[in-house]
Amino acid sequence: MILYIGRRLLAAAGVLLAIAAVTFTIFYVLPSDPAAAACGKSCSTERLEAIRAHMGLDRPLWQQFTDFVTGIFTGRTLGSGRYAVHCSFPCLGYSYENSEAVWDLLTDRMPVSASLALGAAALWLLLGLAAGVTAALRKDTLTDRALMVGAVAAASLPVYFTSMMLIHGVVRLTGLLPYPQYVPFGEDPAHWASNLLLPWTALALLYAAMYARQSRGSMIEAMAEPYVRTARAKGLPRRTVVVKHGLRTGMTPVLTLFGMDLGGLLAGAVITESLFGLPGVGRLFYGALTTGDQPVVLGVTLLSAAFIVVANLAVDLLYAVADPRVRY
Amino acid sequence: MTTTAPTPAAAAAPAAGPWRLARAELRRRASVKISLAVVVLFLLMAAAAPLLSALCGWSPEEFDKSAVDPYLGGQPVGPFGGISAEHWLGVEPVTGRDLFARLVHGARVSLLIALAATAIVVVAGTAAGIAAGYFGGRTDALLSRLMDLTMSFPSLIFMIAMMSVARDVNRILLMTAVIGLFGWPGVARVVRGQTLSLKHREYVDAARVGGSGPWRILTRAVLPGVAGPVIACTTLLVPGMIATEAALSYLGVGVRPPTPSWGQMIAESVAFYDTDPLYFAVPSTCLFLTVLAFTLLGDALRDVLDPRSGRA
Amino acid sequence: MKNQRTRTSLAALLAASLALGAAGCSGGRRTAHGSGGGNPLAAGQGTTVGGTPRKGGTLTVLSNQDFSHLDPARNWVMSDMDFGTRLLYRTLVTYKAEPGAAGSTLVPDLATDLGTASADARTWTFHLRPGVAYEDGSPVTAQDVKYNVERSFSPDLPGGADYAARYLEGAEGYQGPAQGRHLDSVETPDDRTLVFHLRKPFAEFPWATVMPTFAPVPQKQDTGPRFDNRPFSSGPYKVDSYARNKRLVLVRNEHWDPSTDPVRKAYPDRIVVTMGLKANQIDDRMTASRGADASAVPWSALRPESAPKVLPNAEVRRRLLSESTNCTDMLQMHTGRAPFDDVRVRRAVQYALDRDAVLTASGGPALNEPSTAYMPSGLFGGRQPDTLKIPATGDPGRARQLLKEAGRPDGLTTRLTVSTGDRGRAEAIQQSLAKAGIKVVIETVDPSAFYATIGDTRNRTDLVYTGWCPDYPSGSTFLPFVFDARFIKEKGNSGNHSLFRDEQVMRRMDEIAAMTDTAQADRAWQQLDGTILAKAPAVPVLVRRWPLVVGTNIAGAHGHPSFGGQLDYATVGLKDPAKARG
Repeated sequence: MILYIGRRLLAAAGVLLAIAAVTFTIFYVLPSDPAAAACGKSCSTERLEAIRAHMGLDRPLWQQFTDFVTGIFTGRTLGSGRYAVHCSFPCLGYSYENSEAVWDLLTDRMPVSASLALGAAALWLLLGLAAGVTAALRKDTLTDRALMVGAVAAASLPVYFTSMMLIHGVVRLTGLLPYPQYVPFGEDPAHWASNLLLPWTALALLYAAMYARQSRGSMIEAMAEPYVRTARAKGLPRRTVVVKHGLRTGMTPVLTLFGMDLGGLLAGAVITESLFGLPGVGRLFYGALTTGDQPVVLGVTLLSAAFIVVANLAVDLLYAVADPRVRY
Repeated sequence: MTTTAPTPAAAAAPAAGPWRLARAELRRRASVKISLAVVVLFLLMAAAAPLLSALCGWSPEEFDKSAVDPYLGGQPVGPFGGISAEHWLGVEPVTGRDLFARLVHGARVSLLIALAATAIVVVAGTAAGIAAGYFGGRTDALLSRLMDLTMSFPSLIFMIAMMSVARDVNRILLMTAVIGLFGWPGVARVVRGQTLSLKHREYVDAARVGGSGPWRILTRAVLPGVAGPVIACTTLLVPGMIATEAALSYLGVGVRPPTPSWGQMIAESVAFYDTDPLYFAVPSTCLFLTVLAFTLLGDALRDVLDPRSGRA
Repeated sequence: MKNQRTRTSLAALLAASLALGAAGCSGGRRTAHGSGGGNPLAAGQGTTVGGTPRKGGTLTVLSNQDFSHLDPARNWVMSDMDFGTRLLYRTLVTYKAEPGAAGSTLVPDLATDLGTASADARTWTFHLRPGVAYEDGSPVTAQDVKYNVERSFSPDLPGGADYAARYLEGAEGYQGPAQGRHLDSVETPDDRTLVFHLRKPFAEFPWATVMPTFAPVPQKQDTGPRFDNRPFSSGPYKVDSYARNKRLVLVRNEHWDPSTDPVRKAYPDRIVVTMGLKANQIDDRMTASRGADASAVPWSALRPESAPKVLPNAEVRRRLLSESTNCTDMLQMHTGRAPFDDVRVRRAVQYALDRDAVLTASGGPALNEPSTAYMPSGLFGGRQPDTLKIPATGDPGRARQLLKEAGRPDGLTTRLTVSTGDRGRAEAIQQSLAKAGIKVVIETVDPSAFYATIGDTRNRTDLVYTGWCPDYPSGSTFLPFVFDARFIKEKGNSGNHSLFRDEQVMRRMDEIAAMTDTAQADRAWQQLDGTILAKAPAVPVLVRRWPLVVGTNIAGAHGHPSFGGQLDYATVGLKDPAKARG
């Protein structure tokens, strides 16, 4: 087991390195010039060169990449003299747009994206699994049909549509909730939740539908497994069979899905954040793109890749616990 | 919907018989008929877009100043977003462009991108999956690593980034390529699993012993075996592709103006959702219906063609 | 000299509208309001909304973006300069806090007067007022002003105005004070005296000292790039907390002495800027003005899409400011190469363009004025002349004829670069030129890359759509920047995007610049505007307004003509501070 984890961690590190290399190459080869963007409007040639040198963009690509990778572990000092900025471990570069180290920016925005992702995830797991398991246990009844049609429909609604309707109905017409505006959990948990309720709902609706469909399928499959049938034949109460046997095996594929989805969302739901004006990583990323802030773009890409890789790893490890059939 | 086939390891290789059975099974379902009708309708609409817009008398790019009120921020003149005999679905606020003409031309762009990207995904995914499953060993290891790598990419973020930096290229082509780039591992995994289970079937072994080359075995024996799950999986891929095109256009990195696409139309109309609700509702509804129809169709196909798979 | 700030403010505006993407384009029949229509927003120009404020309370600013830079060495976006110089730092000279044309008058701020020039206008002397203090109580010195001027040269601190670089002696190659080198051309004989030595005569130097470059930064407080996130205050407020893209809280600077400050009223006790909101939600909240939003003002201009919710409502219209941005949007043609090296082709574009359609795309006559000349109406004493008499909707027939005369009876295909936020306007241009047989391919470029893209004269497209604002009411801040070939750079070109090169025009510019009678010079600039228009290097399209709906509890609100129509933060406050504590 430990060996397996070690091997997986090593592979994950390799994947991240590869992603960093690809991202790096693409963004630095494409025709955009962060130095020109920083220099702004009337930018003389010598000033542009000075800024380029200051940002380290005058060095060969491979050298910039090595600097970047070693910088993650050892930290880096950018610029010189009085204005030198030290960016310490884990240094993902320095955003000249925001005058802040990329890592600090990311950790600053993370709570928003995490609040959004985790809250929505809790909501969609609850809704999705409830609907899916109910439908599976009442297979081919009217309830089953209704739930599944509802799920397909909900999954087909564009998120901007749901969001606008939610804001219109709940905020503008009835005034039940305020216009979403992020409040940190530590500051006021009640406000945190009430402000996030709409974005959670909008995001969760989409995923809940997918999860309902998925969990219904795997639940039906699990309930047909020989050992579940055996347990039932032994005369165990239906509740015990469903929870202890059915759910446990049936949820394995759902778990995989969940790992991927949550991993992808943790580093920012670009559209949802932008629809609700939440200052999360997704918006940071979008803003960085529009201002040509490449260190941030690279940082967010790496962060979200890291989340996906870690989530996959976590899921694989959880398999061992959740599904009695999986052994390493 | 999902029929639970107890066969634990392998589904029977579909032959001519099962295909006919499948068709009969599909024909029985009302949801299939309806969704097929919707899909065909939109496909026809997309194909006949120039004809349809000629019929309504407006090209998708043509402004109609008389249909909007410049003093009210370009609101359409008349009720329901300016619906009239002249403009069947009303007009776009500000420009007065005909909504029907834009809708049908938008269908063309959106569906073209979605279907082309799906085709890329399916071809690349099937090829990679079969190669990995059939040849095994190093090929498998290499391809599987590549799949892991691609799947670990934060795809939406990456797509947005690439679309926003690239200039001077055909946007439709680029968008198709970028969307297709990240989809293939899903298909490849399904195909690889299927190929692995087919690889040592008697009829494949027989072909091998009979002296058939790998190409012949792959095309004659393995490919038909994986076709069922691939078709089901493909249909379920389309809605995702349409949604991705819409998302990219929504974020302003999609097609170039004045080309319409559903995503672009929705993106522009969000700002008018309360002042001109119909403008927002029309493309949203079309997107919704198409995604819904493809999903229902895919579900049915999966049930029939690939009864075993939990998720595609 | 000045002007580039236009472009930044435009970029910011575009960035703002980027999120919403919309702003389609196009046409307009006047049916609904009769052809005269009148401008429902003209009333919002040059007036103050809400009467005189009372001291105290919290003013909330709702914003869909963050400031580009608050570091005075880097701040060169109109709205940001307004915010920075009205609230956080003082400059040598500043604008009066008055609505309408009076706002464009200069008043001494840190300085005791508008500066004293030597006879050749190459040496300028300023004396600082006594009693001006920073937020820690220490006095503002002449050395601090000099130090910030030097900072603006640092490659680590890009983005700021380049007046100092353009005019100061010995500025070439100077890299800022970080390595310990200093500029000898700025002398500080004592703590309260500044002497600037310029490379060439510059009679309008006091106007340049309005820029945040001429705000004080003490060397021991300089944190380099990090100064942007925590500027050290010499104004009536100081930064209490600043979370980028989220929230900026300003509280009173207890050491600011109102008796030393003729401009800033500093009514509210606190100013809270909430950032990263959705633009459409800001419009809705300001229109509704419910609860705490009554004491709020919006940061960005009202979106054209929200006009139908605002304009028909008399109550909301009373809270609407709509100062002109004073910037002319132009369609500029590359006069240096085919096909636009032929004046007949350029005139064909002038005739083909449907300004009315672009105007509608830009929010209609309520939010914009069509342009018939290059310089905005402010430089024509309030009204632009119409020397060409081309109908507002264009004359495609005449345009075709001109193309035929130019030997292009089949029309032509060309490309147009616009910033993402101008896409709607570009589509209107595309559509109207198509009627005359000119096929336009639109390239939308991200606001951040826009100026770099169009500044690359060799690789750029034939057409670009961009604007220019005069820095102050003088033709010298407009025509030379936009049409003087001596300002053309192969890369990083700015202003003269038509690459217009005309010896006669340039000679005339030099003659006017040498005039001492300002009235005579003004007339001469106006005449020259018409002369250039006839040579058609660019098509003037429209001048935008900066519409803002303020909350019901807001008082002392007026748009400032010299800050692109942005709310003047020197005078805004609350009617009833008790309603806005917190």
